[in-house]
Amino acid sequence: MNFKSIFAASVLATSLIGVPAMAEYPDRTIESILPAGAGPALSVSQIIADAMGKELGVPMTVLATPGAGGIKAFQTALQKPGDGYTIIDGYVAPLVLQPILKKAEWNFDDFIPLHAAASNAFAIGWRTDETRWSNFEEMMAWGKANPGKLRYSSGQRNNLPHLVMAKVLQSYQVVAQNVPYKSPPAANNDVKSGILDFAFVNVGNYKQDPDALKIGLVLSEQASAKAAFGGAPSIADIDADLGISGLAPMGWDWWLVKKDTPPERVETLRAAMGKAMKDPDVRAKIERIGFVPLDWDHTEYDKIVSGVRDQLSTMADAIKWEEDALKALK
Amino acid sequence: MFDMLLQGAGLVASLSTLALVGAGLIIGLLVGALPGLGPLMGIILLLPYAITFPPVQAMGFLIAIYVGGSCGGAISAILLRIPGTPLAAATLFDGYPMAQNGRAADAIGIAISASALGGAFGGLILILFSPSLAAFAAGFGPPEYALLAITGLTAIAAVSDQSMLKGLIAGTAGLLLATAGTDEFTAAERFTFGLFELSDGFNIVAIVVGLFAISEMSNLLTGDDLLERPNLAIARPGFRTVMLVLTRWPNLLRSSTIGACVGALPGAGGVISSFTAYAVAKTFAKSEERYGEGAEGGIVASESANNATAGGALVPTLALGIPGDAATAVLIGVLLILGIFPGPTLFAQHSDIVGGIFLVYMLANIALFVVGILMTPLFVYVLRLRKVVLIPTVLLMCAIGTYAVGSSVFDLWVMFAFGLVGLVLRAGGYPLAPMVIGVILGPLLENNVRRTLLLSHDGLRIFVERPVSATLLFINVALLLCVAFFTLRRLFAERQSALVEEKA
Repeated sequence: MNFKSIFAASVLATSLIGVPAMAEYPDRTIESILPAGAGPALSVSQIIADAMGKELGVPMTVLATPGAGGIKAFQTALQKPGDGYTIIDGYVAPLVLQPILKKAEWNFDDFIPLHAAASNAFAIGWRTDETRWSNFEEMMAWGKANPGKLRYSSGQRNNLPHLVMAKVLQSYQVVAQNVPYKSPPAANNDVKSGILDFAFVNVGNYKQDPDALKIGLVLSEQASAKAAFGGAPSIADIDADLGISGLAPMGWDWWLVKKDTPPERVETLRAAMGKAMKDPDVRAKIERIGFVPLDWDHTEYDKIVSGVRDQLSTMADAIKWEEDALKALK
Repeated sequence: MFDMLLQGAGLVASLSTLALVGAGLIIGLLVGALPGLGPLMGIILLLPYAITFPPVQAMGFLIAIYVGGSCGGAISAILLRIPGTPLAAATLFDGYPMAQNGRAADAIGIAISASALGGAFGGLILILFSPSLAAFAAGFGPPEYALLAITGLTAIAAVSDQSMLKGLIAGTAGLLLATAGTDEFTAAERFTFGLFELSDGFNIVAIVVGLFAISEMSNLLTGDDLLERPNLAIARPGFRTVMLVLTRWPNLLRSSTIGACVGALPGAGGVISSFTAYAVAKTFAKSEERYGEGAEGGIVASESANNATAGGALVPTLALGIPGDAATAVLIGVLLILGIFPGPTLFAQHSDIVGGIFLVYMLANIALFVVGILMTPLFVYVLRLRKVVLIPTVLLMCAIGTYAVGSSVFDLWVMFAFGLVGLVLRAGGYPLAPMVIGVILGPLLENNVRRTLLLSHDGLRIFVERPVSATLLFINVALLLCVAFFTLRRLFAERQSALVEEKA
């Protein structure tokens, strides 16, 4: 056998191996890139990924990529080819909020939606033996009487809880100092030990230790959110109109792929995710963590996400207001 | 407590649990020994498989990877002078010289025995003092973490033998490198040069692998024995190495206690504890022990500390639901997926699972000793590879391990660049470890100092007003005075002996 025929045979062999592989999508691991580190959100994504992986017949892994308010994860995903093997876990902060804050260049309609995943509510919590106030209105009155003295944490800066909490404080004209923490549990710990006055509590952390902090205000008017925090008072129960409703003050994610992904692969992924999200076992697991599985499919993406974007846009000046008010105090 | 363990024993006592712990340990030792990968990566890779088991078995499997991975890095540190994980960076000071003196098997044996004993000690602390240690950790706020970071930085004095000044320069460079990334407090980008890959700073794994592995392999390349098969007699490691460790029981107990306490503090971690334990051991050591030249006590200190940290890190994880480090954060995630919430409610509602997790942790440490010693000949075989085979294999492993952390090609470039930095530092006689200490402690120090100042409305009194913070401040001042005293005494002794020689 001369060199030429060996070459021809090897080309033929490669093409024979290659053809069925090309025809059958998916044939290798699919990666879902999560804009957060280890925590309840990672667990929820892992549950959905496992169920989807079973539907698709390939392993699906979740790659936790924290950093820069979720932007790093989006940019990492955008660097990968749009071949259906990379899914972007489109959490609201990098998807909607960062573009509003001019920290990211994309728009939500630059992506193709697969299906909505899950939402989680936030709340404000303070120490259980707090003596200065017993409810949210009283805390706001204390804060107004002592401008700049309240110290709170929204976890990281410029994230969704920061925007929502700044908006609430702005509504009451209360100037407070936001102290950034990399991990929300560490901030909650410092509230417990009295260094911080209050902090945002996500529902996953609340479920781990419901008695750690007193939940003073659930930042959502939805009944499911109130129930998730053990029936604590919510923004529906206070007199002030904060101008936030629906999904706007909550965390949620919508799984996405890049615009240039082949349509038939998008359909395959949509079908798998749709099936996973309807699976009662998957839903029960997600609910156990305190998150709410979402039922919307891709057809509702534009309407729902643009609605949230419009609401968040009107709130965007709250963080700026907080910074300016603190500066004015110094 | 005993009820809890007794209930847990029912969940642990099965052949499948034993098999999972054994498999987890072997995987852990391998991911630990391979440069780049580490216990965290091992846990993440095996997570989808683990969640198909009941909670205690799943935790047994992953905790075994955690335990094995915390020890595995020592193997490559001892054999190749490359810490498989940043956790083992303090192990190479004495491990590598010991291997060079023909005692590779002993060094690995000591590392494994010390890890197992330190880990078991951490486990005892976990079982006996979980609630009180959790309360101790809960009192740690930003001022305490800032001072703890300074305690860690004093370790630089211990690991820069030849020149304190060069050590401090390398440490400061590390602190500066840690400033790259997004500033937590203003959300501004610092030293990212518009590269999104740097928005979360440099990947610490890429830095460690680059500094140590690339520069070490380049160093080996310059030898003229690339094709020769090293003619080494491979000594059989024995279970007797445990005696070598046990005779150093004060060191073992002290280092394990440091490890367990640091582990219990969320956000601190094994690198700080191993360097601190090493520095303390060196300070207390007699000069004839020759730390840095193959002292058995050096390996005992750093390895018992970093494995005890694993036990300590499980304390806030289980008792408070607050992860002690990144690996335990993933363990919490696994428990959540399995429908179990770590925290005080777990102790009240599922005491059998808590007992089971305590027991699988202890089991993993005992098994580490047996599995590790039995596998040592396999590891030591690496020393008999010809360099022409060894160098490309190690470089390939480094590349795979570093890439796997974040699926990022950029990290490979970072690794390569730090390889060059490592070469330059070595050529100038600068120690590499202080740079690693700086990079790891930089964010802990900077963010907590700034957080403290925000909390105190820019006052410094907060550092002395809080009892724990004041105690740490006192310890730091005492440590610095000790370092100054011992350095002066050594210099004085050297001068004296030089004078005596001159006269003679």
